[in-house]
Amino acid sequence: GIPIRTTLDNSTTVHYAGLLHQLTMKARSTVRDIDPQNDLTFLRIRSKKHEIMIAPDKEYLLVVIQNPCE
Amino acid sequence: PRALLAAMLTDRTAAGAEVESLWRSSRSARCEAKSCQTGKISTTETAVQSHTSRDAGVQTEQSKDAVRDFQQEVQVDYASLLSFLQRVEAAVIKELNKNWRSHAFDGFEVNWIDQSETVLCLHNLSYPEARDQNLQVTSLSWNATGSVVACSYGRLDGGDRSTEKSYVCTWNLDRRGLNPQRPDLVVDVPSSVMCVAFHPSQPALIAGGLFSGELVVWDTSRTEDPVLWRTGMTSDTHTDPVYQVAWLPDAKRRNHHQLLSVSTDGKILLWREERDGRLALAEGFAVVAQQVPHSAQLKKLAWGDVAVGVTSLSFSHFDPRVFVVGVEGGYSLKCSMAAETPALHRTGSSVPLRAPVELTFSPHGGPVYSVSCSPFHNLFLSCGTDGRVHLHSMLQTQPLLSLQLAKKYLFCVRWSPVRPLVFAAASGEGNCNKCSCLTGDVHLFDFQKSSQKPALSIKQAMGDHPVYCVEFNSKQTRLLAAGDAAGAVRVWQLSSDFTEQGPRELNQLEQLASEITD
Repeated sequence: GIPIRTTLDNSTTVHYAGLLHQLTMKARSTVRDIDPQNDLTFLRIRSKKHEIMIAPDKEYLLVVIQNPCE
Repeated sequence: PRALLAAMLTDRTAAGAEVESLWRSSRSARCEAKSCQTGKISTTETAVQSHTSRDAGVQTEQSKDAVRDFQQEVQVDYASLLSFLQRVEAAVIKELNKNWRSHAFDGFEVNWIDQSETVLCLHNLSYPEARDQNLQVTSLSWNATGSVVACSYGRLDGGDRSTEKSYVCTWNLDRRGLNPQRPDLVVDVPSSVMCVAFHPSQPALIAGGLFSGELVVWDTSRTEDPVLWRTGMTSDTHTDPVYQVAWLPDAKRRNHHQLLSVSTDGKILLWREERDGRLALAEGFAVVAQQVPHSAQLKKLAWGDVAVGVTSLSFSHFDPRVFVVGVEGGYSLKCSMAAETPALHRTGSSVPLRAPVELTFSPHGGPVYSVSCSPFHNLFLSCGTDGRVHLHSMLQTQPLLSLQLAKKYLFCVRWSPVRPLVFAAASGEGNCNKCSCLTGDVHLFDFQKSSQKPALSIKQAMGDHPVYCVEFNSKQTRLLAAGDAAGAVRVWQLSSDFTEQGPRELNQLEQLASEITD
């Protein structure tokens, strides 16, 4: 997807946008494959260093990256 | 009968056509399966994005203006964007709040690779002829692919070793049938080799610095005569042994590298390859005592116009022109390749030598034998004969930490390439009464566990042979090689807690750097 607004630097934003769009589509098709009446509402990826949260929509994606307190 | 024949004929041609179409339909069936699995999904995605791929193209040009402008070129319907944001705002904020208060993942760790708890000695490599001549391992290097380790034999104790024969040996650890007593390649060198360094991208080239002051580059893939380039003995060559050699990317010619050598004659020289197998001097620096800046906090250097012997060098990973050198006087000096002032060096050379020193750091109690810049932060370590390791920030003269490791000399210190808080130090020699001395020769420090004593001390061998050099393998990050005075190179496999970066380690390193300055 194309980034519209970002608070990160441009190259990181572009990197995240491309990868996360594909992942969101895959997650969505997985959810709908299991149950066609269901649909993806929110996606969270937790990694060693931080947590990525994605709110999907028909036209847009909101991506938030948070450093959780340990 | 005629009607039957006619029917049979038509049947036969139909059968023939059927065979062909079976083959085609199975082929197309395979094609269809492919498109179902991957092509179909990806094509719908690209169809949606195809009109926007032009914008992506603008971004990859990497010119600053183009990248800054992308946000304005995209046609955005702000009304629908606003309604979208208003729809998701509540959900996202709720998740963010839940997350930072959550204890759900406390202590939750995932292991993607096999954990190993212990440190084991994988290989004990040596060259029997060198051991018979009582030669010591003076230096080690891993090659660009991380599968070959090379060591240089020579002697680090005093005496004139310029005519003593020595060897450079390489072992390929990934080869089947590796014989630890028979190196894959042995290069006979007429003078003692003090340091070796593999080329950072060409796995077969290795450079060595000799006791005589010369530099030689060997090509290990050539069987007849491995010598590729050499400096020879010219007026430019070092007049003292070369203690460290390093490859630097050539600023002017891409994909070419230059060689940097340091020696106790005070000179830091940059060599480039010439066509006739010669290494010619490209640039040079000389460290002269009078030109070393000293702040009011340090004692005045009372050496006069004397060259300061350089024993070690390390480049900063953040600024490619800044490097740190350690000198015999116990000082670490921050230098820059961009320095312009000419050096007050007496002997003439073909290229004018410059004075590179910009900052003098607080000294050790004895000569500095090794410096190492951290790949993760603007910090460096220095160690020397006073048995202490100093952790310095590049920006200030006083050390952030001064650790007394042992009463023994410390010969080498290296940061870990994967864990920002870990470093290794090699020790040996020195007066060691049976006090609270650390047994062991290779010490691994982990600032996450303790900033006072090593997390692990590895005993290299029986007996009291000092370990002169230690090198981490940056490609196979579990391996650590250590070479000692008995002529053996041991390859250690580290446990996973030395090789896996923790989640907040970089933050902890920054915190360490800033809290100690206060």
